[in-house]
Amino acid sequence: MGGGFRVLHLVRPFLSFLPEVQSADRKIPFREKVLYTVISLFIFLVCSQLPLYGIHSTTGADPFYWMRVILASNRGTVMELGITPIVTSGLVMQLLAGSKIIEVDNNVREDRALLNGAQKLLGILIAIGEAVAYVLSGMYGSVSQLGVGNAVLIIIQLWFAGIIVICLDELLQKGYGLGSGISLFIATNMCENIIWKAFSPTTINSGRGAEFEGAVIALFHLLITRTDKVRALREAFYRQNLPNVTNLLATVLIFLIVIYLQGFRVVLPVRSKNARGQQGSYPIKLFYTSNMPIILQSALVSNVYFISQLLDRKYSGNFLVNLLGKWKESEYSGQSIPVGGLAYYITAPSSLADMVAHPFHAIFYIVFMLSACALFSKTWIEVSGSSAKDVAKQLKEQQMVMPGHRESNLYKELNRYIPTAAAFGGVCIGLLTVLADLMGAIGSGTGILLAVTIIYQYFETFEKEKASEMGFFGL
Amino acid sequence: MARGASSQSTSSSTTRPGTTAPRGSAAAAAGMRRRRLSGSSSAAGGGGSGVVGSGNASNMLRFYTDDSPGLKISPTVVLVMSLCFIGFVTALHVLGKFYRYRSASGSGA
Repeated sequence: MGGGFRVLHLVRPFLSFLPEVQSADRKIPFREKVLYTVISLFIFLVCSQLPLYGIHSTTGADPFYWMRVILASNRGTVMELGITPIVTSGLVMQLLAGSKIIEVDNNVREDRALLNGAQKLLGILIAIGEAVAYVLSGMYGSVSQLGVGNAVLIIIQLWFAGIIVICLDELLQKGYGLGSGISLFIATNMCENIIWKAFSPTTINSGRGAEFEGAVIALFHLLITRTDKVRALREAFYRQNLPNVTNLLATVLIFLIVIYLQGFRVVLPVRSKNARGQQGSYPIKLFYTSNMPIILQSALVSNVYFISQLLDRKYSGNFLVNLLGKWKESEYSGQSIPVGGLAYYITAPSSLADMVAHPFHAIFYIVFMLSACALFSKTWIEVSGSSAKDVAKQLKEQQMVMPGHRESNLYKELNRYIPTAAAFGGVCIGLLTVLADLMGAIGSGTGILLAVTIIYQYFETFEKEKASEMGFFGL
Repeated sequence: MARGASSQSTSSSTTRPGTTAPRGSAAAAAGMRRRRLSGSSSAAGGGGSGVVGSGNASNMLRFYTDDSPGLKISPTVVLVMSLCFIGFVTALHVLGKFYRYRSASGSGA
């Protein structure tokens, strides 16, 4: 790789074709932001209910059952891909840039534009690639069944939906909306899931008469209809095949723990050099990187699953493929579950009993979760420019100093806290995820953690927006 | 102080890319706290768009915040485009049903 040639420049010819949302040239009022956010959310929700045209069947095994919630996707609908393309491309580019495989100088405007363009281009390509892979792998019925015309139509629908998600996300991020599209979609999907599991009125016949799917409704239904109230209660709390009240309580508990831990922070006092006597503080949160570690971790796992399943379907029996993962269809739900190889070991054990029965699996899973979260968390502060060095530089630019420390000590002082906070915060997030999984929280541990942290962020954003509105109009 | 706050708000909202966005937030954090403590909230309205402290993470998912040359589209166009797409897929469904019905009855007659 010579000095003249850079990978990033390969993107340049495509740059002018990429859709790009204009930046807001004025300050968008809070109400307008809410409006944009709501409309985007509405579009997303409609898309995730609208079935794809031309598909033959979606009744078979659902290979991506695990990832549905986290990736905000919905089987057989236009949102089949959900946010996978955008998250994967973001992950790949950030890691490439962070590990200096592609060189990006963040101070050069063109480089930043190229990086953004590359990310978007990669996202669009991944959307096409996944759409083609889905259709060819026979998720919607084999291609001969579908007919070539319909197959192409399906690919176009999936691809366009991918572009729409990218555009909506960009729209929200460019200051027209609140937060980012990705987190909004994940949180919505997750909340929808939890509410549905708690209050779903559909009945399922599982051999012991009709049962309600929703945990709360089932509780009342069982209490009213059964004569033996104690057994009815036990049934409502511990039924295995459907969401039960324990799951719901576990979900609530995890919510509370995460929100409680969000408040943990180290507050460093800072003082302005210019304005005398003005004190401030720079808080370093325990969850310094927030939900980023689990987003990265789940993106990694979902890609491992995706590749492993594709390979398993084509070349099952090959030693290396088996090493990566062996898949079997579960007899209850028709979902494919990993039963061997790497994919199995990075999947959460289904219950405590399962954990005791397969201690090696449990230990491997926990170690994998914790170390992956800690590692991603530590990489992420470097990549995203929130490491001690960057923060020190920002504070210096702002003419802020720490009272009692020399200016040169600022970095050292920050460095005492930030890497620790990042790594430890990552471990905590991982631990909570494992805990949620073991307690059987609704959705999955990852999903819950994502939802809570995102909702908390939104809560903060709302407060902040409100405060700034008050600042403008109240005084 | 007001000058510092406003300059940082413009820089963080217009030209900073995703990777450097937290930079603005850290500074703004300090700025906001400072303002609250000193009690002169009216003077620093310019910092309104700053990010309150500890909000580092909210910026971390921001992959696209920078302007880059490309097919410029306004937010309304994005929304309209998505709605058109939804309409298109719905139309496909309706046409598909209609066509199937026609062809079925055609072959039956």
